[in-house]
Order: sequence, then structure tokens, then C-alpha cells
Amino acid sequence: MRKIKRYHPLIMLFDISQLIKNAIFLVISLSMLKFASQSSYSIIGKALFFSIFAMSAISIILKWFTHKYKIDDACFHIYNGFLSKTVQTIPFTKIQNINRHASLLHRIFNVTSISFETSMTGEGSSIKFEVISKSEADRMEALVRDQLITIKSQQGILSEVNVLGKMNHQNRTIHFKPQKKDIIKASLTSLSFLACIPLLGSFFLKINEFLDLEKIITEIARGSIGAVILIIVFTILFSAIFGIVTTYLKYGNYKISSDDRYIHITKGIVEQTAYSISKEKVQAIEVKQTIMKRLLGLAEVKLTCVADLSSEENKHEIHSLYPYLPVQRAYEIVSEMLPSYEVSQKMSCLPKRFFWVRLIGQSWLWIIAIFLLYYNKISFYKIENLWVLSVILFIFFILLRIQGFFQTRFALNSHFIQFKKGYLTTSLFVSKREKIIEVSISQSFIQRRLGLASITTSNRAKPIHFAGVDDVPAEFASSVYHWYLKRQKEFN
Amino acid sequence: MNMKINLPQQRLSRSAIRVWIISEMIANLIGIIILGCLLYLHVLFAWKEWIGWVLIGITVISLLGTVWSCIYPFLMYKNWRYEIDSEFVQLRSGVLNEVYQLVPMTKIQAVATNQGPLLRKYGLCSISIETMGSSHLIPALPKEAAIELRN
Repeated sequence: MRKIKRYHPLIMLFDISQLIKNAIFLVISLSMLKFASQSSYSIIGKALFFSIFAMSAISIILKWFTHKYKIDDACFHIYNGFLSKTVQTIPFTKIQNINRHASLLHRIFNVTSISFETSMTGEGSSIKFEVISKSEADRMEALVRDQLITIKSQQGILSEVNVLGKMNHQNRTIHFKPQKKDIIKASLTSLSFLACIPLLGSFFLKINEFLDLEKIITEIARGSIGAVILIIVFTILFSAIFGIVTTYLKYGNYKISSDDRYIHITKGIVEQTAYSISKEKVQAIEVKQTIMKRLLGLAEVKLTCVADLSSEENKHEIHSLYPYLPVQRAYEIVSEMLPSYEVSQKMSCLPKRFFWVRLIGQSWLWIIAIFLLYYNKISFYKIENLWVLSVILFIFFILLRIQGFFQTRFALNSHFIQFKKGYLTTSLFVSKREKIIEVSISQSFIQRRLGLASITTSNRAKPIHFAGVDDVPAEFASSVYHWYLKRQKEFN
Repeated sequence: MNMKINLPQQRLSRSAIRVWIISEMIANLIGIIILGCLLYLHVLFAWKEWIGWVLIGITVISLLGTVWSCIYPFLMYKNWRYEIDSEFVQLRSGVLNEVYQLVPMTKIQAVATNQGPLLRKYGLCSISIETMGSSHLIPALPKEAAIELRN
């Protein structure tokens, strides 16, 4: 274990396949510009292309020879560089969470990729093993975890219960596995069936080049109404199936489980991703509901963590638990997985006397504008009654604001702060006092007159996570201030 | 209705007002000189008429700004409070928009003092406190207090 290792040799194959993929893309885009022609530009271009291709191929092989790693009892050592060499040492204790991702290619060769995330920013903040055999990945993961536990228990931070937990840390409790019903609901809410419309459209256009489809359709339509209905039904069915299949591929094999220190999430049918987040490192919880989800009683639970996969494309999904959880189940899961967090259902609303303030407060300018439009009969691009349009918009926004007023909730417990806000999409934010790194309360001139205030809290994350509510009663704001002032006592 | 937050006790240095006024004056003076030059050029080369109106408008605004900048430092001084103890940095600032900020000591990453030529003349320092996410500036403290704070 102590000796220096090279990465898995298959990494060359993976890199080369990636290179070829990029090259094909380049060739296709170049062929648009008459790649085959004999002009001097294209010859230079071709020469450049092939030399770059060869160079990167060589560099991939060299990379395999020069990049090495070593794992000892407490650290990763990474050796990089061909001409200038760098050695990077990362202790296990700095690792925040572990991600695994297996693409189709990975699964063919029965390997996987694993990355260990730290809380550092910038380059080298995570250790990534692009290709690694499954057993090796398991071994590394176990090593990192066990190491963390033993170190902590040596320092006496962890109680004996948790050390016992180390013995049976394989026993994970499964919290959620989507059923068929959930998948169908999810595909409905995500509106993924709409995604096939452009697909169908382009398909239609392609066929149109060969057959005169438009003519055929008009002929059919003239023929009978039954045929038209058939086509419509077929289209709807097709898009529904398409939606369900895409959601199934994405969220089908979803599993949320946890042991006493980590939360594990695995997902994906073809491309498999697994990641674990340390429970201690969860900074805040956010429950989000779009209007569609609210209608169907679904919610998305997001965990705010320090480490963030900024390089990955699916950055937003990475720390969200299953985005289509039934609401009630979502709260249960949170309390099951993170017993140190409690989401209390009881939250206070904004007092009624602020209703009109909220309603009129920021829109008086608009009202004036409407009057101006009405009296001056300003027309814009031949739309005569611009003020009618404006009134309609205004009413729409007023309705939104009323909605927002009744959805704003806030609560302060002994250790937690939580607030809910939003117009169409609501979000509920919960955080612990010890995880909040800053509190700021502001009062504008008008707010001061009315006894209102805005609160902003920040949490440690990458980037720093800000959350806040506007226009809460000043008493609540000041109680938040005093509540936060008492935070230090917890540590003593 | 007011919030029941205890005001932080410490204030900025009294001579901060003078520093602010002087620096504002310098900035305004430069602005007005530039505007004057433009107006002169406008008359000299007979630019289009609307340019003249725009220039006059800007001049009026900047003159009003100059008057405001004589009053503003007093208000700012009146409203700026801070308090630093072993646990928290409490800041309160803002004339029209009041902002209370609470930063725990443990989350502070770095503290830097800064002195411009004007601040140096009056023996003042501005101090910036950097946390993981943000940085907070306390303008114009007496130098000794600032250095004491920094340490």
C-alpha cells in the first residue's frame, strides 16, 4: 500500500477515446468549411490538426508514465508533471465528500471513477481518479472513512457509540427508492415530455426532405377526422413515453441511504453515479417546490455543503436529494437522516397589518406609470391601449405578491433558524446557529418607519451561500440578532 | 417602531468627518474643473446645442452633490458604530438604509489596515476585516486603535 502506484492503464484508452470524440467533432465542423479542398489554408489547417492530435496522443501516454499516486495511513500523495514535477499531499481529514461516477464505457470495462472533494477552492481542490478498478475504489473509500473515524476517536471527539458504528458501517438504512408511481409523477412535473417536441419537429423536417409529408397529412386530414385524432393521440402517447423513459434513465435507479456518518446517494441506469456526503458537513437544508411540484405534492431537498463540484456539469444536481420527493416523505427523510436537524412545521406568518404595505409598498411607481399611460394615451408599436396591458400585468404581479405574502414564514428555535419564501417557486431554508457564519440585518428608510427589516444569513459553501427574507417584523429581526449573539455559548 | 438591538458602543474618530469632507472636496473640484473645461470647449468650438444642455445638467447635479457631500459625512459619522469583543464584531452603518452586521470572531480570516495620504495626515487608518465570504470595512479609526485591533 505504501508504494507509489501508477494510475490504471485503461486511463489511456479513456483519454484517447475522449480525444477522438473531440477530434471527430472538430473534423465535422471543419468539413463544413471544405476540409477536403486543396487551398493552402486547408493544408496548413490539416497539418496543424494532425500535429496537435499526435501531440495530445503522446502526452496522454506520457501522462500515464509520469502521474503517480501513493496512499499512506493518513494522506494521499499525488505526483504530477512531466517537465516540472509537483507533489501534492492531501490528508484524509480534509476530505468532505466522495463521488463516484461510472459512464457506459466504465461499465463495459467494469471500472469506475472516483473523486474525493475537499473544501479548498481553485485547482487541485479535489483528487480525481478517472479510471480505477471497483475493488480499488472500494478499498480507498473504506480507508478514508475508517481513517477519519479512528483519528477522531483518538482525539476523543467521537463517543464510543460512533466507534461502534464503524464496525457496522456497512449497514446502511435505505430511506428512499422511487416506485413506478414516483417516476410517472416526476416525468410529469419535470415536463420532460415537452423535450420531444423539438425532436419530433426536426424528425418531421428530415422526412419532409424525402417525402412531401405536408401534402400527405393534408390529404389524410381531408379524408377523415378519425385519422387526425389518431395522429394526435399517437403524438401524445409518444411524448409521454419519451418523457417517462428519459426520467427513468435519469432517476430510475435512485437510492438514498445513510449510515451514521454519511449520506449516500446512487443514481442512474446507464451512467451510474454515487456520492456520499458527510453528515457533519451539511451546512443547511433547503426544500424547494416549483408550482408544478406543489400541485402534485412533491418537493426537492437540497443540502448545502462546503465542497462543490464546480467542474462537473451537473453541479446543481449534485447536492440535491431526489428532486421529486413526496412532501411528507421529504420531511421524514430529513429528520431520519439528519437527526440533528429538525424541521418544525409550525412557523409564524407575516402579521396582517403589513399586508397592505407589502402590496402597495414597491408598486406605487407603477401605479403612477399606469395613470400617465392612461391620460397621455401613449401608444407603442401601434398597440393603442397600452395602459390596459399594463393593468393586466400589474394585477398579475399583485396576485403574485399576495401569494408571496402568504407564503413567507419564519421561525426561530433554540438552535435553528428557518424561513420560507417565494412566489411561484417556494423555498424553505433551515440552518443551524453554529453553521451560520454571518448575520446581517438591514432596514431601509421606509422599512424603519413601518417596523420592518430584512435579514441575510450566510453559510459556508462554495461559493458562500446567502439566504434571507425581506420585510419581516423588526422584533423578529432583533431576536435573530440576539439569538446569534448567544451562539458562542454552545462551544464553551 | 425601532428594533431592540443594543447599539454598538464605539464610534469612529471625530476627524474622520474632516477627512471625508476634504476627499469629497478634492474629487468634486476635479470634476468641476473637467466640466468647466468641457463647457469652455463647447463655447469655443460651437458644439451642437444639446451637448451644452447636457453639460449644464451635469454641472447642476454635481453642484448639488457637492452640497450633499458637506452634510453627508456628519450623518455618516453619527450612524457609524462598531464594537469588537472576544466573540463578535458588531457593525452598524448606513444613513438611510441601516445595516447591522454580526460576524463571529472565529470566522475571521484576515485583518488588514490601510492608510491613504489623507488618512495618514490625520493619523487614521481604515481597517478591513475579511471573512470566508465577505469583507467588512471600518473606515477611519485612530491609528493606535486600528493597530491594536489588528493584533
